[in-house]
Amino acid sequence: MLEIKDLNATIGETQILNGVSLSVRAGEVHAIMGPNGSGKSTLAQVIAGHDDYKVTGGTVRFMDEDMLDLEPEERARRGFFLGFQYPAEIPGVNNAYLLKAALNAKRTYNGEPEIDAFEFLKLAREKMKLLDMDPSFLNRGVNEGFSGGEKKRNEILQMAVLEPRLAILDETDSGLDIDALKSVANGVNALRAADRAVILVTHYQRLLDYVEPDFVHVLSNGRIVRSGDKSLALELEEKGYDWLREAKSA
Amino acid sequence: MKHAVIDQALFDRTVNAIPEDALTGLRSRAASGFAKSGFPTPGDEDWKYTNLTPAVSLSNDWLSSVGESPDFRSAAGLDAVKKIDAYWVVIENGQITLDSQMFPDNLSATLMSEGFSDGDIAADDAMTRFNAALLRDAVKITVAANTTLDRPIGILIRDEAAKKSLVTQSRVVINIQENANAKFIEAHVSAGAGEHFANNVVQMNIEAGANASYVRLQNRARHHIQTNKLSASIAEGAVLNHCAFDIGGLLVRNDLIIDLHGKASAVTMSGLYLAGDEQHIDNHTRVDHQVGPSTSREEYRGILNRKSRCVFNGKAIVHKGADGTDAQQSNHNLLLSGDAEIDTKPELEIYADDVKCSHGATVGQLDESAIFYLRSRGLTKDAATQLMTRAFAQAVIGMNPVAEAQDFVSAAIDARLDSLISDAHHE
Repeated sequence: MLEIKDLNATIGETQILNGVSLSVRAGEVHAIMGPNGSGKSTLAQVIAGHDDYKVTGGTVRFMDEDMLDLEPEERARRGFFLGFQYPAEIPGVNNAYLLKAALNAKRTYNGEPEIDAFEFLKLAREKMKLLDMDPSFLNRGVNEGFSGGEKKRNEILQMAVLEPRLAILDETDSGLDIDALKSVANGVNALRAADRAVILVTHYQRLLDYVEPDFVHVLSNGRIVRSGDKSLALELEEKGYDWLREAKSA
Repeated sequence: MKHAVIDQALFDRTVNAIPEDALTGLRSRAASGFAKSGFPTPGDEDWKYTNLTPAVSLSNDWLSSVGESPDFRSAAGLDAVKKIDAYWVVIENGQITLDSQMFPDNLSATLMSEGFSDGDIAADDAMTRFNAALLRDAVKITVAANTTLDRPIGILIRDEAAKKSLVTQSRVVINIQENANAKFIEAHVSAGAGEHFANNVVQMNIEAGANASYVRLQNRARHHIQTNKLSASIAEGAVLNHCAFDIGGLLVRNDLIIDLHGKASAVTMSGLYLAGDEQHIDNHTRVDHQVGPSTSREEYRGILNRKSRCVFNGKAIVHKGADGTDAQQSNHNLLLSGDAEIDTKPELEIYADDVKCSHGATVGQLDESAIFYLRSRGLTKDAATQLMTRAFAQAVIGMNPVAEAQDFVSAAIDARLDSLISDAHHE
């Protein structure tokens, strides 16, 4: 589903990604962990198509298509979703309006008719129930005045409505209390399916208690230095990240 | 500073050539007053950023050709705006038509040419004198005390300069009697390829306890020049809610002058200006709090693209003894191009002790991270930009107090925003 080969990327003059390679197949959940500044968020933003970052080498293929040639909106319409670490506040743009516009952009791309207002509300309410969200969310400005936890739940709501093929959740678990964390986990687990994949980018192993990953990767200095199963996350939790650096330099 | 002046000989010849009628005395007095001042120049503090030289040149051109009577009232007239269910006053190239037989008992409209006194016509600054000196007719609208009009009053100001240059004046005098309620829709449109300058004046008197809602939509052709002044006198317990949309024109100057002279009087002034190409839109507002308590609320917003230039100047004067004044003002601007320019200036003069005054101005660009966020959800860059600018404009669109005009206003703004955003790609 996603095939990243030797990806190099810079922001300004600074090299952030130094040859990331990663293969994600349908049905899998991957966790990418790593210390601050290791390049986790950069990797997520590059895959989403943020033009602050310049790809200087390597390839990213998504559903057998060269992803780097596509505009961010074209990636989204093909079924890619990024849950932002810091979702933008957009005052005056109604949450329901954005959700519906996003869903219809995707449906139109897929040759499906636009969803009508009634069907949309039904769908949105159903997903909000799953995430334990108050229906009044729909009528608020996008992330406008939301708390940190509300913003993250809103990302998961968008993901739940859009039902992407591939979702990358960038530190969606950070700053959440335990109830919010469980809601987010519910959203991710509900999306798990044989034809979808999820990549959790996280600093802590906490979320992984609720969403069990098939693979865990450690990113350090812009490359994946270690991959394993979920036991790797527990090991990291216990020992921190320093032992990896030591192991590497040794 | 060197600047163009009105050719006095041509001006006098034109004023004197207008056939004698009920307005002759007014014209002659205003003309001699205008002769002393001429047009404002950038040397005048209030006109620092707006140079009327193009209006002066156009006027001289027109004055030199007067005698050829302009071609009024083309069949193409009466635009979409007239579909709004309102009591219409139509001013085409300065000529006024009323459907007064359709007006209800509590609404009267009389033409100056048919007899209302010229004492009601203010001529107290350069542009109102220029207006009065060349005025062919004026309309006085009265809403009867203790009544509520069932429909808005529509004022359609339409000008057509077929080939040559054209200068037109319009004058509307409004009196809303005690405890009356009325709504107004003022719409400006223009047609024809000729050069055109319109100088419009509205005088409002809002008596005690009366309530007026007023929306103005200026959607002129992109080569049009316009000066516009509305002054309102607001008595005890009376309220004016004024909302202005400027989306057309080349060189536009609006003056909104509010006199709060009665206790518990209030005004809301909101405005939206959308400027692209080389448009210049200047909004000057002034509110005088003569007594307290009295309240003014002001919010103007602008979206500027390409080489447009806009000016916002909001003056609030709290006079001695006007304790209990509450004056709040804000002006927010969104620049879509590095070449666009906004000059924004709040001016507060406070001579009373117990007052609550605030003002704030912002100038910013579209939030790129928000645009990326929307694109990452599948919206195109244009759709994302449209959504963000519309949301910015909505704060003012939502303040329009005349519901009957809302669809018309929204459609005009959406269309202008579309063209404004697509302009962005041609830079």
